[in-house]
Amino acid sequence: MTLSATSEDRRNPLAGLLAENSNLIGLAAIIILFWIGFTSYAPGFVSSFNLFALSRSLAIDIVVGFSTMVVLATGGMNLAIGSIGVCAVMFAGWLMQEVGIPLPIALVAGLALGALLGFLNGFAIVRSGVNAFIITLASASLFLGAMLILSKAVTFNTLPPEVAAFGRMKWGFVSPLMVIALAIGAAMVVLFRFTALGREILAAGANARAAELSGVPVGRAIIVAHMLSGLLAAAAGLMLLFRLGAAMPSIGQDWLLPSFLAPVLGGTLLSGGYVSVIGTILGALLVTTIRSGLLVMQIGNFWLQLFLGLILLLAVMLDRYRSVHAERRSLGKRA
Amino acid sequence: MTGLFDRILAKEWSALAAAIIAGTIGLALTSPAFLTEFNLYVMLRSFCVVLVVAFAQMLTLAVGQLNLSIGALGGLVAVLVGGMMEKLGLPIPVAILAGLLVGAAGGLANGLLTVRTGINGFIITLATASAFTGINLGITESVPFYDMPAAFVAFGSARFSAFPYLLIPPVIVALALGLFLARTIPGRQLLAVGGNPHAAELSGIPKDRIVVLAHTLSGLLSAVGAILAVAQLGSAQPTIGADWLLMSFAAPIIGGAALTGGHISVASTALAVVLIVLIQNGMVLTQVDPYWVQFVLGALILAAVALNRARALRAERG
Repeated sequence: MTLSATSEDRRNPLAGLLAENSNLIGLAAIIILFWIGFTSYAPGFVSSFNLFALSRSLAIDIVVGFSTMVVLATGGMNLAIGSIGVCAVMFAGWLMQEVGIPLPIALVAGLALGALLGFLNGFAIVRSGVNAFIITLASASLFLGAMLILSKAVTFNTLPPEVAAFGRMKWGFVSPLMVIALAIGAAMVVLFRFTALGREILAAGANARAAELSGVPVGRAIIVAHMLSGLLAAAAGLMLLFRLGAAMPSIGQDWLLPSFLAPVLGGTLLSGGYVSVIGTILGALLVTTIRSGLLVMQIGNFWLQLFLGLILLLAVMLDRYRSVHAERRSLGKRA
Repeated sequence: MTGLFDRILAKEWSALAAAIIAGTIGLALTSPAFLTEFNLYVMLRSFCVVLVVAFAQMLTLAVGQLNLSIGALGGLVAVLVGGMMEKLGLPIPVAILAGLLVGAAGGLANGLLTVRTGINGFIITLATASAFTGINLGITESVPFYDMPAAFVAFGSARFSAFPYLLIPPVIVALALGLFLARTIPGRQLLAVGGNPHAAELSGIPKDRIVVLAHTLSGLLSAVGAILAVAQLGSAQPTIGADWLLMSFAAPIIGGAALTGGHISVASTALAVVLIVLIQNGMVLTQVDPYWVQFVLGALILAAVALNRARALRAERG
């Protein structure tokens, strides 16, 4: 059904554009309502302290969301994001603390490891022809297990002082991590709007067979998407490393839900072929807003999971009914 | 090239059986503690919950769906059953029945949401999993119920020689499931829908109803697993089910279930659980770092997927 919705968009670009924007406008409206609600019930919500904390976790949620978004573009998924993130963090932490390698080189090495693990995922998926779900479920366990065996689950907490200092740095009341996240977002827009590679990834997701027949190297596109996903997961992990000031083996284990929430709330299709970078940023903003608001209102973490689950359900159902409705309307017009 | 070896190799369970035999012999030779009555009891006891959880996932795989909420629903049922016995003082059978009903209702909700909205079961069960966990944590605030009825806890640890009483419900479930899939009309329809949904629909099978049935049974079985886990642990921990996700997929897939549906086997899944339990036990006995379990399970799934793939290619060529 989603496939027919995309072909609808393609036949009528104006309607597609409107539908896309109505999703973003609706999402923005919901976010504004939440901000008004939280601000009036809990004045602490817009304190500069809370806004700073919010911007730090938002930056990480956005990049985690991008990490899933790039594989959803191919119609695949990546359950190993948390595992790749923690592998990159622990590797960078080990390099800095035990080997004494300077911070920038350790960061590059962590990112490279993320891309490598993502490449392994993509390679295994393309070569075996097996569902991305099962490959990344298994590799998530494999990567996490290898990390725990090698690190013995010990935290690296005597890192160079610049790490924690950067995490605490404030520009106004936002964290510079936010700038990094938005820069990555800009790079995503460029990739999917203006480069052949981005187009190939989307084409492979929209209709793999048609893409293959028209000369798109589908296998390569899927591998590249998984490499990017691994790279972004590593980036998100390293951003969390700055925030925490230590490389902890527990990083990433709660990323699964947020990694899907942000892109799916933002209108990225699970079946592939369509991504929304701005939607993913707004989706992450909604999740972070709710999490932070519930925390400030002292409802705490316990009910948060329920809220997030219900919001995801609501969002996908609304999306579904909207596309059915749009289809009916256009059918009516044609008849 | 169709010798006896090839014919055995073509059987799905052959590699599993070979691995289990090799593992048993290896462990018996290297570790004197392995074949003691107590160790066999410990192994059989840890077999119970994993087996039922694997069946819960197997049923959704059978119709080409998947269920990420098995662990979350199990955790919710566990604390509800524990809370009903400790806080409300309900008798054991009532609490168990209520727990099973909650499990089936959770599964029914998954099924109806999937079928009615037409949204990918992955995203639906990801969302409901979060909701179930949220209710669990909201009720318990992460504090377990420790005060379980004596008879309930006793059942969880009672044994006849090496045979734990806890194993009785999973064995009944396995037999019932085997009968259901092989001999009943809904069971056959379930496999037909998984094998080829379009063909099944054309031959008059109510496809949507069968998908809902598979999800409901999956929820029911996750409740069975949760209640067994409470009996085994002797307390209702909110964290029950948190580590079921990988296990629930590992066993059916190592047992040869196809993710595309229609192809499952109760016996192979049970054998895969035996293998997993054997590996875990072997690691404890040989004092290997427990972190290896994660690694080995992941490697095992990949190996099983590769083996199934090679077998399919071979069958095509042959």
